[in-house]
Amino acid sequence: MPKVTVDGQEIEVPDGATVLQACELAGKEIPRFCYHERLSIAGNCRMCLVEVKPGPPKPQASCALPATEGQEIRTDSQMVKTAREGVMEFLLINHPLDCPICDQGGECDLQDQAVAYGRGGSRYHENKRAVTEKYMGPLIKTIMTRCIHCTRCVRFSEEVAGVDEIGALYRGEDMQITTYLEQAAQHELSANVIDLCPVGALTSRPYAFEARPWELKKTLSIDVSDAVGANIRLDSRGREVMRALPRINDDVNEEWLSDKGRYMVDGLTRRRLDKVWIRKRGKLQQATWEEAFKAIARAKPGKSIAAIAGDLVDCETMFAARKLLGAMGSGLLEGRQTGMDYPADNLAAMAFNSTFAGIETADAILIVGSQVRHEAALVNVRLRKAARRGAKVFVVGPQWETTYPAEFLGEDVSVLGNLPAEVAEVFDKAERPAVIVGAGGLAAGAFEPALALAQGWSREGWNGFNVLHTAAARMGGLMLGYAQKGGMAEVAKAEPKVVLALGADEVDWSAFDKSLKVYIGHHGDKGAHAADIILPGATYAEKDGTYVNTEGRVQFAEKAVFAPGDAREDWTILRALADALGVEVGFDSFAELQSAMIAEVPALGVEGLADLGPLPKAAKGGKGKGGTISYPVADFYLTNPIARASAVMQRCSAELARGEEILEAAE
Amino acid sequence: MKFLAKIFTWWDGATIGTLLHSWRHGEHVGTDAQGNRYYRSRRKSADGRERRWVIYEGANDASRVPSEWHGWLHGAFDDVPESHLPPARIWEADFTPNATGTQGAYLPQGALQRGGRRAAATGDYEAWSPDS
Amino acid sequence: MSLADKDRIFTNLYGFQDWGLKAAQARGDWDDTKSLIARGQDSIIEEIKASGLRGRGGAGFPTGLKWSFMPKESKDGRPSFLVINADESEPGSCKDREIIRHDPHKLIEGALCAGFAMRARAAYIYIRGEFIREAETLQAAIDEAYDAGLIGKNASGSGYDFDVFMHRGAGAYICGEETAMIESLEGKKGQPRLKPPFPAGAGLYGCPTTVNNVESIAVVPTILRRGASWFSGFGRENNAGTKLFQISGHVEKPCVVEEAMSIPFRELIEKHCGGIRGGWDNLLAVIPGGSSVPLVPAEQIMDAPMDFDGLKELGSGLGTAGVIVMDKSTDVVRAISRISYFYKHESCGQCTPCREGTGWMWRVMERLRTGDAAIEEIDMLHQVTKQVEGHTICALGDAAAWPIQGLIRHFRPELERRIEEHNAKFAEAAE
Repeated sequence: MPKVTVDGQEIEVPDGATVLQACELAGKEIPRFCYHERLSIAGNCRMCLVEVKPGPPKPQASCALPATEGQEIRTDSQMVKTAREGVMEFLLINHPLDCPICDQGGECDLQDQAVAYGRGGSRYHENKRAVTEKYMGPLIKTIMTRCIHCTRCVRFSEEVAGVDEIGALYRGEDMQITTYLEQAAQHELSANVIDLCPVGALTSRPYAFEARPWELKKTLSIDVSDAVGANIRLDSRGREVMRALPRINDDVNEEWLSDKGRYMVDGLTRRRLDKVWIRKRGKLQQATWEEAFKAIARAKPGKSIAAIAGDLVDCETMFAARKLLGAMGSGLLEGRQTGMDYPADNLAAMAFNSTFAGIETADAILIVGSQVRHEAALVNVRLRKAARRGAKVFVVGPQWETTYPAEFLGEDVSVLGNLPAEVAEVFDKAERPAVIVGAGGLAAGAFEPALALAQGWSREGWNGFNVLHTAAARMGGLMLGYAQKGGMAEVAKAEPKVVLALGADEVDWSAFDKSLKVYIGHHGDKGAHAADIILPGATYAEKDGTYVNTEGRVQFAEKAVFAPGDAREDWTILRALADALGVEVGFDSFAELQSAMIAEVPALGVEGLADLGPLPKAAKGGKGKGGTISYPVADFYLTNPIARASAVMQRCSAELARGEEILEAAE
Repeated sequence: MKFLAKIFTWWDGATIGTLLHSWRHGEHVGTDAQGNRYYRSRRKSADGRERRWVIYEGANDASRVPSEWHGWLHGAFDDVPESHLPPARIWEADFTPNATGTQGAYLPQGALQRGGRRAAATGDYEAWSPDS
Repeated sequence: MSLADKDRIFTNLYGFQDWGLKAAQARGDWDDTKSLIARGQDSIIEEIKASGLRGRGGAGFPTGLKWSFMPKESKDGRPSFLVINADESEPGSCKDREIIRHDPHKLIEGALCAGFAMRARAAYIYIRGEFIREAETLQAAIDEAYDAGLIGKNASGSGYDFDVFMHRGAGAYICGEETAMIESLEGKKGQPRLKPPFPAGAGLYGCPTTVNNVESIAVVPTILRRGASWFSGFGRENNAGTKLFQISGHVEKPCVVEEAMSIPFRELIEKHCGGIRGGWDNLLAVIPGGSSVPLVPAEQIMDAPMDFDGLKELGSGLGTAGVIVMDKSTDVVRAISRISYFYKHESCGQCTPCREGTGWMWRVMERLRTGDAAIEEIDMLHQVTKQVEGHTICALGDAAAWPIQGLIRHFRPELERRIEEHNAKFAEAAE
């Protein structure tokens, strides 16, 4: 714990801290461009210069200088002030003065720091440098003349994303940042470079010229595009969500967000269900709420009613449906739309027990049936971190492009029963061995053998058994009992008179020919096309709600905008339906609904990791039946109805996933 | 009928009072292509200036004065335009009055009345329909 | 009291003899190298320290001291490396080229001695990309040495395993900076690294590394053979030894010559170069150490001793001892402007002051050359150079700033004259 003096104030800093961190601890703001907490230190912007004694009689880059005992740091001396002014002047001489038309305006580091640390005027009278645009794909818009060469984007793609997509060409004044051969950046986290870019060189292409940051309402929300539950901020103007940005949460998403979570928001305004539809003589026709409720009541479901939860619904909706079904006397709840039927009686066996932050510290990782990059891109970042720390990674399942060294052990689950000796040895010797079972693994019956393996490798104070779900609603659904023994097949076998589909778009509806299918959801997707009655609901951006991520972390999202047209928040629809069916559900407001839910499932009332109890004992002889693994995500960009409706995601899918040539319109 | 309109309305051509005044004090100088008649006072006013005016043939719309007569009317030159101005070139377009407020009013490209499409605005959304 | 022939280290500097192994051995190279190595690591380092050898690449850091920073033993199994800087791209310098052309075995033997002293596993010689024939010669010499068992396994029969590799650069001046050279050797973009960590802690491939100039390494075997006191007998205190001076420009006979350190400038020129073109009165200024040191006007340099400290007192530096002599026919502003262009062209673009500043300085210099500027811009330019100097990762920023600072310090009246002349011309035209 070295002691340093910052501007006369003595403080103790943690070992290994840099001078910049020491200054921050002392409450001094150090301007910086290239330095970023989650990236390696480049030290090339030279904005963070401070005066350090003892040391050479020139200002030092504080971001790269380790704080040592007895250092005397000055951030307010004349030398520091001139150094900052000088560097700022250099940064600005070749930076275009186009702030009024720059999308970064209002949230630009260069703008802010130029005001705070720059000189009033310019002494540069030569011509400014101009740089040609670089194509970086459908998400990232480039205006490279604005680039100040901080190389944050280069370091991000190299270190965090793990792909060498972005780099620098040429040298000196002519240095240019570009993607390799100007191909589109293809990584599923590529758009994070937009947040990282301290100037307007890399901006968001779909959001180009849409809004200014100060006119947006910021709402804290949770990403539902995968089961990671990334913390996001929805920026909305009026009734439209303009963009989604990641929030910092070191336990979940650090400060990254997958491209899908970030850019599917334009799907919130397309293909929306905004009126009630009833199927009459085989054709869906517009109707009113009363007609719809009457039609459902006319089906006289009684006990014969089932509810199927989709991938994006919040816990409150699922709980309201459960209450309704309970009042009707039915318990036919199911959320695993594609028909998986793993045992769900023990929740601990269904969660990502190591936690995302914890998996970084694992030293041997076995991934069973998960294309982590597509199913949980942010978890892949953690796995890459673990691999960089020396963890050995093995994958059971079809080959995919990992961003770290990994060994593939074949596509068949049966390999879990007899791991190759050298692989088994790695895990036996590992201090923190982890098993990650993905959706593909669960579908292929890998749950039992994987659990058995994890228990064979159990370590004190370390839970290495992890299930990586793909749906944001899954963990909450399991906690609320949305799982039947036997899965969807069981529900179909019961032949319910009425099926409530809560945004369920991945279900094979042919098994429910005889049922009245009531679709409560927000997008006209597969579920709506199959439905007999459509009741328009709200998306994650349009309602308050609780979500549980695959770790079992309970998180709360807030309502950013109102649902369009006749659409209502889902719980109000279910509440009104209860009246139509003549049953009592016991809540009249959202607060009542929530408190009823928390009373029944107390874990949902506390934000943070839920206590899911101990792991079950693996069944004896859980050798695994053997089955070939196939990954559930065919196209990363089109996994849910919102993304499928999004023009941006469709373009990404066409260009990045399927590799079609897209001609730039009007260029 | 025309006679009655002349007595009770003021929006087409001159009123009776103006006609009387023009007959008594005005000297008819010329008539333009639309039939508007241009007058000047026979006597100069107290400050030594000459009054000039026009009686429209039809609606009293100042924009109907063609540019050549506009110059004369505002005292830019004293001769009648036919003798003062050079003859019109073949490439000169015919004079048209201001069409604002009429059917012929100018509509910019993209105007909704011309079948243009409104730019997307915040809060717009595209509703789903079963046929899509 | 100039250097006698018997005291010359580079006895084949001019290529009068063959560069090959046989001829080199006849000149005394590879003579019982085994016994040199048998002295032991610490003794070699002590000997070099005692000899007062300072790095010949420009900065003048004591070589023995630099070697002593290398770890005595590898705690985690990482090997150590010696990197030899033959990326001689400094305008005005051409000594390493001569050594590699005509005396490559001195360098290879030196690599073995130095590498052994710092417990290095191998030496990498990073040779400038444009030195095509020199690279061929050097590679042939390395092959010869391998075939003769002088390097490689059990090098020279000493029981020490030592490899020498040659790596050709791709023509970037910045790769002569030690950490940029390491980056380039690793196959990356040649950009200087942040220090700390210093290469002695984590250099090539993260292993302890020392980067030395060709000349510093090539003189090592001779120092070891003839003793530290012999070497330190030349030159003033703290500036010991002999040095290759490379005199170019407006002298009668430009040449590369080995001389004792601290030789007065006048003597150096008179003795080896046949004097200044047009006589000593015709001398305008001298850049004494390659393009990156400030120039020194004639009256100050004439009797100055050519060594690190003597030139530092004049506000300049010995650098690589690439002496550029300019007589009064020189357009000195244009000369400095050209040097500015060189630095603008060679800046790696990594850190801001150098990337943006070198271009700015060059553009202002170009205008000062024609006089198309305002008097205040001279002060502004000076401030800009101060803003670059000392604010960058590597020394290229300093090197770009110093020539301009030297020009403004010594030739400000010339700059002002040009501006006034230019203004007068346009004032006339306007009338």
